Amino acid sequence: MGETNEPRRTERLPEWLVEGLLRLGESAIALIVGLAIGAIIMYVTGYDAWLAYKSLFGNSFLDSYGFTITLSYAAPIMLTGITFAVGVRAGLFNIGAEGQLYMGALGAVIVGWLAWRIGILDSVLGVLVAYTFGVLLAITWAYIAAILKVKRGVHEVVSTIMLNWIAFWIVEYFRVYLIYNPSDPSKTISMPPHARLPLLVPDTELSAALIVAIAFTLYTYYLLWYTVTGYELRASGLNPLAARYAGIKPEKAMITSFIVGGIASGLAGAGEVLGRPPHYAITTGLSNLYGLGFDGITVALIGANHPVGIIFSAILVGALKAGSRYMQIAAGVPLEMVRVVEGIIIVALAVPGTLRMVREYLRRRRELAELEKR
Amino acid sequence: MDAHVAWLFTVSVLNAMTPILLTALGEILAERAGIVNIGLEGIIMLGALFGVMAAEAAHGPLPGLLAGLAVGALIGLLHAWLTAYLRGDHIIPGVGINTLALGLVPFMLIVYWHSAGQHQVPDYARVPRVAGISPVTVFAIALAPIMWWILFRTSWGLAVRSVGENPEAADTVGIRVERTQAIATIIGASLAGLAGAYMSLDWLATITKEIAAGRGFIALALVVFSNWDPVRALGGAALFGFFDVLREWVKIMPSVKAVVPDTLLNTIPYLVTLAAVAGVLGKVRPPRHVGQPYKRE
Amino acid sequence: MRDIVKIYPDGTIALRGVSLDIYPGEVLGLLGENGAGKTTLMKILSGFLRPTRGYIVLRGRRVVFRSAADALSHGIGMVHQHLALVPVFTGFENIVLGLRAKGDLRKLVEELMEETGLRVRLDVPVEQLSFGERQRIEILRMLLRRVDVLILDEPTTNLTPLETRVLFNALRKLRDSGKSIIFITHKLREVMEIADRIVVMRRGKVVGELPREKAEPRLLARLMVGREVFLRIEKPPSTPGKPVLKVIDLWVRSDIGGWAVRGVSFEVRAGEIFGIAGVEGNGQAELVQAITGLRRAEKGKVIFGDKDITNMSPSELYRLGIAHIPEDRQTMGLVLDMSVSENSILGMHRWRKFLGALGSLRWREINRHAERIIKEYDVVAPSIRSPVRYLSGGNQQKLLAGRELSKNPRLIVAAQPTRGLDVAATEYIRKLLVDLRTKGHAVLLVSADTDEVLQLSDRVAVMYNGRFTAITRPEELTEEKLGLLMGGMEAGTLGRD
Repeated sequence: MGETNEPRRTERLPEWLVEGLLRLGESAIALIVGLAIGAIIMYVTGYDAWLAYKSLFGNSFLDSYGFTITLSYAAPIMLTGITFAVGVRAGLFNIGAEGQLYMGALGAVIVGWLAWRIGILDSVLGVLVAYTFGVLLAITWAYIAAILKVKRGVHEVVSTIMLNWIAFWIVEYFRVYLIYNPSDPSKTISMPPHARLPLLVPDTELSAALIVAIAFTLYTYYLLWYTVTGYELRASGLNPLAARYAGIKPEKAMITSFIVGGIASGLAGAGEVLGRPPHYAITTGLSNLYGLGFDGITVALIGANHPVGIIFSAILVGALKAGSRYMQIAAGVPLEMVRVVEGIIIVALAVPGTLRMVREYLRRRRELAELEKR
Repeated sequence: MDAHVAWLFTVSVLNAMTPILLTALGEILAERAGIVNIGLEGIIMLGALFGVMAAEAAHGPLPGLLAGLAVGALIGLLHAWLTAYLRGDHIIPGVGINTLALGLVPFMLIVYWHSAGQHQVPDYARVPRVAGISPVTVFAIALAPIMWWILFRTSWGLAVRSVGENPEAADTVGIRVERTQAIATIIGASLAGLAGAYMSLDWLATITKEIAAGRGFIALALVVFSNWDPVRALGGAALFGFFDVLREWVKIMPSVKAVVPDTLLNTIPYLVTLAAVAGVLGKVRPPRHVGQPYKRE
Repeated sequence: MRDIVKIYPDGTIALRGVSLDIYPGEVLGLLGENGAGKTTLMKILSGFLRPTRGYIVLRGRRVVFRSAADALSHGIGMVHQHLALVPVFTGFENIVLGLRAKGDLRKLVEELMEETGLRVRLDVPVEQLSFGERQRIEILRMLLRRVDVLILDEPTTNLTPLETRVLFNALRKLRDSGKSIIFITHKLREVMEIADRIVVMRRGKVVGELPREKAEPRLLARLMVGREVFLRIEKPPSTPGKPVLKVIDLWVRSDIGGWAVRGVSFEVRAGEIFGIAGVEGNGQAELVQAITGLRRAEKGKVIFGDKDITNMSPSELYRLGIAHIPEDRQTMGLVLDMSVSENSILGMHRWRKFLGALGSLRWREINRHAERIIKEYDVVAPSIRSPVRYLSGGNQQKLLAGRELSKNPRLIVAAQPTRGLDVAATEYIRKLLVDLRTKGHAVLLVSADTDEVLQLSDRVAVMYNGRFTAITRPEELTEEKLGLLMGGMEAGTLGRD
C-alpha cells in the first residue's frame, strides 16, 4: 500500500500555491454569500433581485462606458485598500484611510484654489504640486495615529476613527469658509482646467488617476517582497517578538506602514479631485468622497491583503459601486444595497479559513484510514 | 447661569452620556471575557433602525427598546460564534457589521419610510420621560454599579474575568470558556442595541443615517479609558457627555460663534476622546487574553 | 480508555490506538519521552481534547467528554505542566474559580490544606507565589472538586527537591484515601519512587506495562527510547583558549520589576562549552536576553573579545560575531508564516551580501544561502518557498541553528536548544554544539535539562534566584550536589575552579 501513496506525495502542489488557491476560493465563496443574502433582502423588501444584479453587472462589466465608470471607482479604492493591507502586513488595523483620503483631497483643492490665483500652477505642475501637498497632508494625518500608537499605546482602531471624524469636520470647515465655490455653493472650488489629470477615454470619468493607482499598488508589492523595508515590516507584523530578536524595531515598521498607507490614501483623495469629472472638487458633506476609505477595507480583505489581489478586488468592488446607479434605475433598488452586500461579504470573510477547515478534515479522514489499514 | 439653565444642561448631559455608557458597559463585559467587538457602531445604528420599526408597528416604545436589545443580541450571537467558537479574528466581523449598517439604515429609510436620510419618530413611539429624565438613562446609570458587582463579587463574574485573563485556567476548572464568552458578548452587544433604540426612540426622536456618529467607537475608547471598570466608565461617560453637550451649547452662543466656526466645534468630542485615551494609557491594564482566539489543539 | 487515536488538525498523529486501565487507590506512572503522546492521552481523559477515534469507559459505562467541565463532573481532573492559573487573582480566587456552591468555601479550603499538607498563601496574587505554591493551588482546586482521578503532567519539572518531597508525600496520602493518581513523567527515578504501576509509551503507543516491583531503570529506559544506547555524545578533548565573553557583575530586571539577575560574573573561553544549569525561572532567560541585546542590563558589564558590548542592539551583536539560538524557536527564533528562505536571513537581512541598490533584496543570493543551510544541516523542507510552519520541530531547529551558525560567530549562545525535539534531532543539535566547541568556538549553553548540561559542558554554573551558586567542572557534580545547588544551597565546599 505504501508504494501507491508515495508517488502522489511528490506530485503535490507546493504549500504556498495551495494556500493561495484556497484563499481565492474563500473570497469567491464570501462574494457568493454576500450576493445571495443581498438578493434575499431585496426579495423581502419587494424588489426583483435578478433584475437588480443583471443591470448591476451587465452595465458595470459588459457595457464599455459602464466599465470605464467601474475602473474610475476602482482607482481610489485600490489605494485605500493598500492602506488597509499594508497596515495588516505590519500587524495593524489601520481603518483611517477615510480620513487620510479626505485630507489628500483637501490638499489638492487648496492647491487648486491657489492655481486660480497663481497662473503657473494651472498646468501639469499644478497636478504634481496638488498630489504632493495632498499626500503630505494625508501622511500627517496617518502619522498622528502612528505616534499615538507607538508612544502612547492608543489602539489604532480608536485613533483612526476619531481622526476620520476630525478630518471630516476640518474639510467641511474649509469647504464652507475658505475654499468654497462662489458660483456653486454645493461644492468647493474646482481644479482649474489645465491642472487636471488627462482622461484615458474621452467623454468618460476615467482619468490617469487609475494609472497612478495601479502604479502605486504595484510599487507596494515591490516594497513588501523585494526590499528590506518590506521584509522588516512583514516580519514585525507576523511575529513582533522574532522581529525584535532579529534587531528589527516593530515600532519603526508600524510607522513605516502608517506612512505608506497615508501616501496611498493621499493619492486616492487627491486623485479624486484631480481626475474625477465632472466636479474636480469636494462636494457638500464630502458626498463624492464619503465611504471610499471604508470600501478599501472590503477591497483589501477580498484581495487577501495582497497588492495583486487588491487590483482585481478593487475592480470588482468598483463594479458594485458603478453598477449600483444602474441597479437603482432599472430595478428601483436604492444604491445603498451595495454597501449592505459589502458588509455581508466582510462578515463572510471573517469565518476563519472555511476551505482550509474542509481540507484539514479530509486529511484527517485519510490519515485515519491509512492508520486502520495497518 | 440660573438654576433652570443648569438643570437643562444636566439633563442634556444625561441624555448624551446614556448611549455611550450603555455601549461601554456592554463592551467592558465582553472584553473582560476576552472578546473585542468593534461592530458597536453598527449595532447602535441597527438598534436605532429596528427599534423604530418595532415601536411603530406595535404602537408603543417598549417593543422598540426590546427590538433594539434583540438586534444587538443577534449580532452578538453572530460575533460570538465567529470569535469564541470558530476562533476567528475579532476585528473583521465588526468591520463587516459597521459596513452593513452603513448601507442598511439608509436603504431601509428609503424602502420603509420613502425618505432619503431621515425619519421623524411619531409621538406614540417615543419613550415617556419622568421629570425630563429617561428611564433608559436611569437604567444605564444603575447598571454601572450592578455590572461592577457582577464582575467583582459573583462567581460568574470571576468566571468571566478568568476567561479573559487566562482561558486555559478557566478551562481546567471546568468553566465553559466559549459559552461564557458567548453570553458576555451577547449581553454586551444587546446593550449597544438598546443604546441605539434609546437614541432613535427617546433622545433624538428621529432616525438618520448618521445617527451613531462615531459613538460606538467613542464607547470603545471609553472602555480603555475606564480601565475596564464599570464604575469608572460611569464617570468617563459623564465626561464625554459633558463635552458633547458643551459643543452644542457653545455653537449657539454668539460670542463663540463669531470666533470659532461650528464645523470646527464639531470635532470636540473626537478630540476629547483622542486626548483621553492618549492621556491615561500606561496606567491601564487590559485583560491579558483580550482579542486573541483561544485554541486548545 | 479504549483504542484511542488522536490526529491533530495540522496532521500530526499523536496517538495510534491506545488502551489504558486505571484503578482506584494507585499511583500510575505514565512514562515516555517528549512527543510519546502521554500528555495528549491525558488531555483526552480530562476532556480537553476529543479523540479522533476510540472511547472511554468509566465504572462500566461509556462516556463522552465534550469539555473539561464534563470530565470534572465525572471526577477526573488534570494539573497541566504549564500551570493554568490567573496571575492577577489571589490563591483563594484561583482555587474556587468556577465553583457555584456558596457555603463556607474558605473553611473548606483551609481544612483541605490541613488534611493534605499542601499549604499555600491564600490572599496573595498568584503572580507573587513560588512555582511550588502555584502547583499546590492547582492540586487543591482539583481536590476541592472531589476528583477521584487526579492527573499530574510532569509535576516536578520546576520543583526543588524539598518541594518534590512534599508533593510525593501528599500524593501517597491521596492514594491511600482511595484516589487514582496518574503521574506523567520522563524521569525514571521519579516513577521508580512514586508509582505503583508503570505504563511506558513511545510514539503514540503503549509499549510496556509493569508493576513497580518488576520495573528496573535500564529496562524502562530501553522501552522508552526503543534502543539500548542512551544519548552519549563523543566529546574529544579540547584546550580552551582566550576568553571570548566576559560578564562582570551583571544585574538585570525581570518583567515585573524585581531583580532577575543579581550580580553574575563569568567568562566563556574559545573552545569550551560553558553550561548554565538550574531550575527554570531563576534568571537564566533574563541573563541570556541581557547578553544578546534583548533586555537592558542595569548594572555590570558584558565584554566580547576586548570590546564592551553592554546593552548593544541585537543587530550590532550579530555583526560582531555572536549567534543566538533562542529559548523558544517558534515565538522568537523564527517567523512561522515566512518561508524557509526568508527565515534563513532573519537577523542578517541587512547584511551587505543580501542587499542590492536602494534597499532591495537580492533574492538569488538569499535563496542560495537557504539552500546551503538546508544541505549543510540536513533540513527536510518541501521547498525553500514553503512557510516554516510546515516543517517539523526538529527541522525548524536545524534551520535556526544553521542560520545562526552561518553568521560565522565566535560565540554561540544556545538556550534550551533541544527542548521538545525527538531523539535524533536532539542528538544532532548536541553534536553540533560539541563540534563547534572542538573547532574553537565559544559556546554558552543554558538548559533546564540537567543531563544535557552535564554531558556537553566543559564548565558548569548552577543558577539559583538570580545568582550562581557554583561554577565548577561537571565531573565534580554528583546528582545530589547538583540537586542541592539547584535548590539554593550554597556550595561551601565546592570550589570555584
